[in-house]
Order: sequence, then structure tokens, then C-alpha cells
Amino acid sequence: MRLAHETDSILSDWRERALRFETEIGKVVLGQERVIRLLTIATFARGHVLLEGDVGVGKTTVLRAMARAIGGSFERIEGTIDLMPTDLVYHAHLGEDGKPRIDPGPLLKQGEALSVFFFNEINRARPQVHSLLLRLMAERSVSAFNREYRFPHVQVFADRNRVEREETFELPAAARDRFLMEVQVGMPADEEARRRLVFDPRFHDVERLLMDVEAGLLDPEAIETVARVIQFGVQASPTLQAYVLALWSAVRAPHEHGVVVEGVDPERFIQGGASPRGLSYLVRAARVRAWLEGREMVVPEDIRAVFPEVMAHRIFVDPIYEMRRERLVGDLIAGIFARVPAP
Amino acid sequence: MGRSARRLVPCLARLLPMAALLLAAPPVGAQLRSVELYAPRPFGHVIGDTLALSAEIVLDAPFRLDPASLPRPRALDYWLELANVRLTNGGASDGVQRYTLDLTYQTFYAPLEPKRLTIPAVPLTATDGTRQVAIAVPPWSFLMSPLREIVATGESTPMALRPDIAPRPVATASTQRGLLAALGGLVAGLGLLAWQMGWGPFGRRRDRPFARAAREVRVALAASARSAASSTAPASAPGQRAALLALHRAFDATAGKGVFAEDLPDFFRAHPAFTAAEAEVRRLFAASRHLFFGENPLEIAREFPPAGLIALARRLRAIERGGA
Repeated sequence: MRLAHETDSILSDWRERALRFETEIGKVVLGQERVIRLLTIATFARGHVLLEGDVGVGKTTVLRAMARAIGGSFERIEGTIDLMPTDLVYHAHLGEDGKPRIDPGPLLKQGEALSVFFFNEINRARPQVHSLLLRLMAERSVSAFNREYRFPHVQVFADRNRVEREETFELPAAARDRFLMEVQVGMPADEEARRRLVFDPRFHDVERLLMDVEAGLLDPEAIETVARVIQFGVQASPTLQAYVLALWSAVRAPHEHGVVVEGVDPERFIQGGASPRGLSYLVRAARVRAWLEGREMVVPEDIRAVFPEVMAHRIFVDPIYEMRRERLVGDLIAGIFARVPAP
Repeated sequence: MGRSARRLVPCLARLLPMAALLLAAPPVGAQLRSVELYAPRPFGHVIGDTLALSAEIVLDAPFRLDPASLPRPRALDYWLELANVRLTNGGASDGVQRYTLDLTYQTFYAPLEPKRLTIPAVPLTATDGTRQVAIAVPPWSFLMSPLREIVATGESTPMALRPDIAPRPVATASTQRGLLAALGGLVAGLGLLAWQMGWGPFGRRRDRPFARAAREVRVALAASARSAASSTAPASAPGQRAALLALHRAFDATAGKGVFAEDLPDFFRAHPAFTAAEAEVRRLFAASRHLFFGENPLEIAREFPPAGLIALARRLRAIERGGA
């Protein structure tokens, strides 16, 4: 009884901090409430996030603001075509004595305290880098200097733009599956936000703008614990479990649930995906959303709110539909939520 | 010459009054242009037959038939009856006045062998107000035939009654058509009413999901009430769940997609009629959230006792029907 009460107070205290965290980021990133909410969910679900969107919509700004607000050590690296995994891990240079030296690279420099690792333009990096990243995301560890480095609190944010396809490398499915969410960052829809972004000089200087964000609002080491408390403290009823399983089977075989996506052959549309890991991520994210909404139970709305971001990139469609995937998968998800009954 | 002149004068003197008379009163033939009689065939009539005669009378214009001179329907003879008299005024044109006089007779003569009979002339009077002229519809003669032979040659007795005339069927086609039309209208009207009210098979109408839900709620709650009465189960949770599920399905079907508690504002925007029950619907969704996803399943029993749930289902059905 005491324990439950303690859990409750931890959860409500941290909920207020999380909402403040959102407000802080909202101060510098306008009109992206949904993106901020999703990133907050990802943070408290301890998941990695891939941001996708046009150039100049504020992907980097929102990530830098988050890194500042989360606190802890922050590292970033730009993806380029000649970036190799060793560039991430090692820093090779000539020492003052003129001898070549190998020091820990950007990834290792901060040691275990690394809390946010920000990979810019991830699709410009080569597959070798992707596979290093895969291990970092999956196991939160890398091998270097003949030993294993562990990063218990690391959260990877990556971004890529959708505009260019030249000299880019598509992320392997395994690496994408490690991301908790793929968040689409679009233009702010709100007219007022657009006007302010363009005309308010405050938004012209990103460095100064980021100073407005309260630094170290969340304690990276504590987030780990809070995340665990959330997962145990927010309950998913048997009805909700049945609902999630029904959604899962609808994703795997939409036509059997009467979901019709216009312009596709239902037999071959879905090739696979929606892994058990994906589903567990889905429930994790839904629990965090329920907690942010101030509930102690997961409801279908929570699942629906995070479903596109958590699941869309885990659904593999037939190659002939790949080019239209965004619209088709969007239709599929909308159809699934329209057809699968809840509760 | 003088002799012949002398003979001429008295002759003229005798003629003059006649001429004066002629000038003063034109001859009868001048007032009556014609009387034409149209009659049925003049043979083969038997006892009891009716004979329809029709006379077309044409008079000079100022003269008119005196209605008082028309015969009254009556028995004219022991065998002949004037059954009907009808005078039709054909109107005046070109200085003549036309009439059609229909006379219907019935003969009761029972001849032993074919016998010629005569319908007598009908005297009429025409008048122009001051003078009266007698005119007459001419007589008409015809042959009457016996109904039976004089001496019986057949097996049966001659006096035996003939079989009745087979009754002629009354024309019922139009009545039947009318009846069918009325029945069709009745059925269509009842069907329309049932469609509107969601009775019977129309309860499954796609656009009347709440009609179906109301029924399912009633059935589910009744079943669970029975089982609760027979067992010692404290709450009728399965019935509540089924009833709530039925209502949720109805909301889903009405919206065309899954409706969750967070979607209610959109739902009310898209279906403004339901705002009449907005508070109850919100309460329902909140309670159902507790039942299905929360730790407090008894909440729903307190929020919505079975009677309240049925009442809400009926309310929603009425709103859906447009009647509330």
C-alpha cells in the first residue's frame, strides 16, 4: 500500500516535470506540439527516434532543445558519405610530440554519461556506420580499444531529410526497427506560428534561442527509473491487450479484417514486419502517453496516438508499392483503426 | 269577255277568305318538319321484352313541344306497358327545333304462335305560345313470338319452369384493382413506418445502428439479470459489457470508424443531433473506459444501472430516428 502510494507520487511529480519539459521545448519550437509530445513520449519510453521531414522545418532545433532540456552529455555527428565507424569511435591525430595518437572519438568521449547522441543526416552515412549504430541502439554499447564501452542512458536521435535521394543509403530494416519512432516533422500548420517563425527575430538566431530552454530539466539517470515505474504503474487491461493483438493481426493480414487500401492488391501488399519488438515498443509508448495524459490505464486512444509513428516504419510492403508507401501505409493504419473494434 | 269577268269575281270572292285563312294560319305541315321513328327489329320479341323506340321530332322554330302532352309511363293495354318516357331537347338551330323522344315499352303478350302487334301512335302537342298544333309519333308494329310450342313434343312438361338465366357476373375488375391498390398502399405504408421506426428486419439497417443496439442492450441486460437472479453472482458484469459493446458498435457504425472518448467532440460535430444527449454520452464513455480498461469495473454499475443504460439506448435510438 505504501509502495503504491509512493509510485503514485513519483509518477505525478514526474508528470509535472515532463509537461514542463514540453513547455520549455515549445518555447523555441513553434507549431510542433505533436512532435514535441511524441519526442517526450520517446524519452520516457527510453526509445530512439528518427526524425524525418523537409529541410529547415526545425528538426535539428527541436533535437538540440531536447538535448539541452534533458541534460547530461550530448554529442552530435553529421552523416557524410565518407564517414566510417572508426570516425565515430576513435579520434586520430598527431600529438604535440609529433607522434600519431588515437583518442576516444565523439561517441566515447563522454563515457557512460552520454545521454543524447544526435546523428544528423543519418541516411548520408554508409551501411557500416548504420551497423555500428544498430549495436549502439540495441545494446547501448560499442567495442573499442579492445573493450566494451557501455552507455546505459544513451538515447539516439537521428534525422534525415526526404528531399534528396542522391548519395544516400537507405537504413537497413534491422536498424529502423531499433528506432522506437519515426516522426514526420512537417510545416507548422498554425498561421500565427508561421508568421512568428518568419518575422520574429527571436527565432532567427538558433544558438541564442536555445539558451531560453532550461537546461538539465530532466535527470538522465533518473529517467531510466521513472520509465520503469511508468511501465509498471500504468496498467493495460485484458480488453486492451486483446485490442492490441487484434490490431497486430490486422496489420499482418489487413484483408482478413476487411481493411481495404485503395489501389493495392491485398494479397501481396504487406510483406511482413510489425515485429513483436515493434508491438512491445507500441505498448511502451502508449503507457507513457497514458501517463502524460494523467491516467493510470492505457486506453485505445493512447495506442492510436502513437501507432503511426511507432508502427509505420515497421510495416514492410511489397517493393512495387514502396514508392507510394507513405500514403498507402497511412491509409492502412487509418483503415485498421476504423475497422478493428475497441473495446 | 265581260261574261267571263263576271264569272271570275264571285270565284275570287269565294277564294279570298280561304286565302286570308291561309295567310293567317299556315298549314300544320309547316310547323312540323319531320317525325322519324327509330325502332328495334320488328320481329322475334317474346313476352317480357322491352322495346326502346326513339323518335326524332323536328319543328319550326317558334314551336315547341308541350311537355304536358307527353305520355305518362303507365299500362297502355292489358299487354303493353309504357315503362319510360324521356324527352331530350336537341336545341334550336337554323330555324328548327329538334327533340329526341325516347319511349320504352314492355310487352307482356303471350302469343301461341307468331303474332303481329301494334304499338299505337303517341299524340303530342306543339305550341308557339298562342297556337297549338297536334303532331303524332307514328304507330309501330312488330311480330311477337311464343316462348314454347303449342303441343309439347319433348319429354318435359311444357309448363315446367325454364331454368333461370345464368347470372351474369358483376364486373369486379375495377373493384379488385382498387382493393389491390389499397392493400399495396397499406403494405407500403406499414413498410415505410417499420423502416422509419426500425422495426423487425429494419432494425439491422446500416444507418440505424442504434435501433439494433437498443435491442441488444435490452436483451443483454435481461439475460444477465436472469443469470444474476439464478446464481449468486454479485454484479451482472457480462451483461453490462455486452450492452456497452453494443452501444460502442453503434457509435462506431454511425461515425463510420472507431469512436473513442477522445473522438467525441468530432463525433458531435459530425452528428449534431446527438448533442442532445451529449452529457450522458460523455458519462457513458467515461464509465465504459473504467469498465474495459480501468481497475474499477464496478464504476459502470453505479453510473449506469441497467434501467439507465436501456433508457440511454432508447434515447439514442430516438435521436437517430430523428424523433427526439
